[in-house]
Amino acid sequence: MNEPVVSSVKPSRVPEQKVILLGDFGVGKTSLFRRFTNDTFTTSTDRKSTLGLDFYTRSFQIPQQSDVVKIQLWDTGGMERVASVTSSYYKFAEAAVLVFDLHNPDTFHSLAQHMIEVASYAENCKVFLCGNKVDLVESVNEEEHASRNSSINSREYETVSIRDMEQFCEQTSVITNMYVTSCKTNQGVSEMFEDISRQIRNASRARYELAKHSVLQDELPFQLTDDEELESQSQTCAC
Amino acid sequence: MDEEYDAIVLGTGLKECILSGMLSVSGKKVLHIDRNKYYGGESASITPLEDLLSKYNLNNEGDQYGRGRDWNVDLIPKFLMANGQLVKLLIHTGVTRYLEFKSVEGSYVYKGGRISKVPADEREALASDLMGLFEKRRFKNFLIFVQEYNLEDPKTWKDFDARTMTMAQLYEKFGLDENTRDFTGHALGLQRDDDYVKAPAYSTMKRIKLYSESLARYGKSPYLYPMYGLGELPQGFARLSAIYGGTYMLDKPVDEIVMEGGKVVGVKSGEEIARCKQVYCDPSYVSDRVKKVGQVIRAICLLDHPIPNTKDALSTQIIIPQKQVGRKSDIYVSLVSYTHQVAAKGWFVAMVSTTVETATPEEEIRPGLALLGNIRQKFVTVSDYYEPTEDGTSNQIFISSSYDATTHFETTCLDVLDIFKRGTGEDFDFSKVKHTLEEDM
Repeated sequence: MNEPVVSSVKPSRVPEQKVILLGDFGVGKTSLFRRFTNDTFTTSTDRKSTLGLDFYTRSFQIPQQSDVVKIQLWDTGGMERVASVTSSYYKFAEAAVLVFDLHNPDTFHSLAQHMIEVASYAENCKVFLCGNKVDLVESVNEEEHASRNSSINSREYETVSIRDMEQFCEQTSVITNMYVTSCKTNQGVSEMFEDISRQIRNASRARYELAKHSVLQDELPFQLTDDEELESQSQTCAC
Repeated sequence: MDEEYDAIVLGTGLKECILSGMLSVSGKKVLHIDRNKYYGGESASITPLEDLLSKYNLNNEGDQYGRGRDWNVDLIPKFLMANGQLVKLLIHTGVTRYLEFKSVEGSYVYKGGRISKVPADEREALASDLMGLFEKRRFKNFLIFVQEYNLEDPKTWKDFDARTMTMAQLYEKFGLDENTRDFTGHALGLQRDDDYVKAPAYSTMKRIKLYSESLARYGKSPYLYPMYGLGELPQGFARLSAIYGGTYMLDKPVDEIVMEGGKVVGVKSGEEIARCKQVYCDPSYVSDRVKKVGQVIRAICLLDHPIPNTKDALSTQIIIPQKQVGRKSDIYVSLVSYTHQVAAKGWFVAMVSTTVETATPEEEIRPGLALLGNIRQKFVTVSDYYEPTEDGTSNQIFISSSYDATTHFETTCLDVLDIFKRGTGEDFDFSKVKHTLEEDM
């Protein structure tokens, strides 16, 4: 059911919805990004390097509806490793996915800071919460279960629980939905992106209709293209 | 930080970010450091407005300027020429995908105490009060000549060798009067002073061509301005650098540039040393290796109305040619507004700037300020303009010049391309920008 549709024609009537990945270095943002892009590739080999990863667009069919949502997912480019990502990264974003490592509570606690950045640079954007690396948590739980009587330092295996996540959503009251994923096993990843596409469909559609019917069409900002691209676009648009 | 890099770039102003991006794309291992907490250095757009106000001991009490975080105020005013170098760099590097632009609505020129629109098409030219009917005909012939002139094809020269003959001789050839010359050189050729008149005509002819080609691209004016302000430009190139492996550090003081045998070998911050083969930086990181060659005055003005006599344009440029106000260099006025997401709803940011010529610079920009109508708040800065004392080839420290008073990015790009060539020994190869995933589709 609702298989993602691969888009091939570039100039489309459906505007792309920018979705940004946020979270500490090493929580698996690039892995999520790769999972997002992989499904559209028949061969998913030789993608070992992060270099050149920028953003990627995929179309999602909305169940029981005729419309398609195009999600343009952005990765940070690793800027958060030492510095912070640029404020530009947040601009024009329709949604932000706050990613943390379920196995590393520090990455969960620093989400508050990422929330502040979303609020200041992309205030109308929808926010989603994603606890990643659930495979690690489960393997730890099994180990813990197996060695219940041994004196394992519990701090070492401290994890973030679903209850913690729910509490975070209640406290901040701006999170649209939350997910638990594993990029390793692919658990919950496509479900998450499908749900996000549904969630942002209504809001963006209303705005799109407004822009389409606006008499001030020529006042809208535009992106720069070179002449060749301009020509090839006008060819495909010959309708 | 204790690693070895091909190049360390200091400062995240526009020039350094373009260089960082080009170096990373060329396969160099780059560390990019800024002493500030934010990207952009002098090319940043300040947000929220309170950050700018507090520097001048002012505040936004009762939100008198609207909501502070709706503002992104540039410190250095510039526009992009639609067909200019920066647009080419943005397109060829793919950085353009991070940005959205709006066309500047109108370009005006100051003549005899009032402003007139620089005609954007034939209809506007016919209706223009800038010149009389016969002068318009002469001017049209002049423009056609410039447009068709081709150095490769002497048939287009019509006995005028633009490599040796001067601009004054070209004006003479077409019988253009003083006012038209002023307008042509300063409003179309964007020359800052009158030195160009005595120089070979070809460089000014190229500039006039750039103006008309830029105008032809989007129609209203030759200028473009990015949404959320000019500070988006350095950030876009920083992302390019990061995607190609560049490492970013902000809020990192730079204590020393470490030399060995007359060549740079590293950069010291606190107890850490990052080793490198080259350093690229702005003048503020190497005060002992630059010389002051002048000053630029810039006045940022917050307005709650458009500039009078501009048909309520939400963005404009006004050029005041030096001769009109008895100066050596032109005064520039630029206006952007809430429509570019750089000001709160209903607000405008005007900038008046020029090269300083006297001991009382604020007096010098008075004719520009007088065009703005009521000014709700004004922030004046006088900045020193620095140039490097060496070209960097011997010590491997490549220093950019400060941002000049020009209203566009042409000189900025020339400096960047020249530094890149000095540093790497070759011109930047745009084909090194690999196809990204997005383009693979």
